[in-house]
Amino acid sequence: MLITLERNSGVPVFRQICEQIRFQVAAGVLRAGTEIPSTRDLGERLGINPMTVSKAYALLEQEGVLERRPGLALMVRGAANGRAASAHREKQDELAQRELERLLRPAAIAARQLGVPAKDAIELFKRVLRAPGDEA
Amino acid sequence: MSTKIGTDPSANSPGHATEQTIAAEHLAKTYGDRAALDGVTFAVPRGRIVGLVGRNGSGKTTLLRALQGLAAPTAGRATLFGVDGLALGEAELARLGMVHQESRFIPWMTGRAHLDFTRSFYPRWDAARERRLVDAFELDLTQRTGAMSPGAVQKLAIVTAVCHRPEAILLDEPAASLDPPSREALYSTLFELLREDEPAIMISSHQLDDIERSVDWILCLEKGRVVRDEALDSLQERYARWRVLPTSDAPALPTEFREGWIRSAVIEPRGALLVVEGADDAREAFEARHSVTVDAQPLRLSEMFKVWTNGGAR
Repeated sequence: MLITLERNSGVPVFRQICEQIRFQVAAGVLRAGTEIPSTRDLGERLGINPMTVSKAYALLEQEGVLERRPGLALMVRGAANGRAASAHREKQDELAQRELERLLRPAAIAARQLGVPAKDAIELFKRVLRAPGDEA
Repeated sequence: MSTKIGTDPSANSPGHATEQTIAAEHLAKTYGDRAALDGVTFAVPRGRIVGLVGRNGSGKTTLLRALQGLAAPTAGRATLFGVDGLALGEAELARLGMVHQESRFIPWMTGRAHLDFTRSFYPRWDAARERRLVDAFELDLTQRTGAMSPGAVQKLAIVTAVCHRPEAILLDEPAASLDPPSREALYSTLFELLREDEPAIMISSHQLDDIERSVDWILCLEKGRVVRDEALDSLQERYARWRVLPTSDAPALPTEFREGWIRSAVIEPRGALLVVEGADDAREAFEARHSVTVDAQPLRLSEMFKVWTNGGAR
């Protein structure tokens, strides 16, 4: 699991962990059934209080991104086949949209503050989608 | 930013949820006619690391001294493990680790001799932890403590304070004379302690960026009173910096905003920067009322601190 923290960003650390796990589940980097590191291990790796990791995991469990099965480690929710698999794909799509929306919101506010009309902003987004690496 | 879950990360930890390891109740301490502490109340359970912040003279050191029984309260209580500072006995002191602002050791003793002397008092001394810390701090134990640099003395003080596996740790400006790698080593040590022994930790510092990176809770004193006692992540979720611009067809901004949740404001005719508290739900109404757009950004602890301590000016 790939997590990096911005420690002086003003964004709560547990939120940063949630956002990055959601992103990785949505992108298929973390697949259904993947075991998640224990709060202790991730706390040690990131140099934070394990309680902070617990808080992030609890929120993701509540959202149905992670699940705890009796006697097993915490894992990404969903199964590899059957009904659970299609439910997982739906969850992935929902997470992907939610993450993209979160990332687009600052750009939308900038568009409003810069006075860029909606249709021009959408054209710009289409252009950026086609060539994401190029500087405008 | 709307989902709220419990703000107390230690509420669910088993066994000692109710014990308040480090606490004060209506604590007051007066020196002559100057009130160093004026009705301080808080409680820190195990597993929590609290940043004690405040300007010079706000009462941080007096508070830490009262907790250890080095300053007698004028009124109220300061307690460790439920025992008043002045009544702390051997049993409680064996469970306490303390780093003072300036540490003094017997100058002719080497670092090694000092650690051996200290460990002889503590049956629970963790020799493996001692070795790890001495390595992490790159501490030369063959040096006499009188010849050590202030930074090395401070590192020795930290090693001395935590190897007996304390359940409460008080640190008064422990990082002031440490270079950045040693500060990193100090904070990663504190997290290691949290994982292994789950102590309650209170650390005072003026280095707010370090505090922001390391603690889960903020206790802010101003003129001897508690002005903030809250989880850091809950503060981070409630405070924001708003960049406010008039919409393109709107006239200039008003010369002042009267909303009660605005904590500080710099207003120019074509734009304003506001620090707001708990205003997430009020944003849309604010935009409509004043014909503005708002760009909300997270706020750093150092910026919150200015708001709590009156701009840092006196």
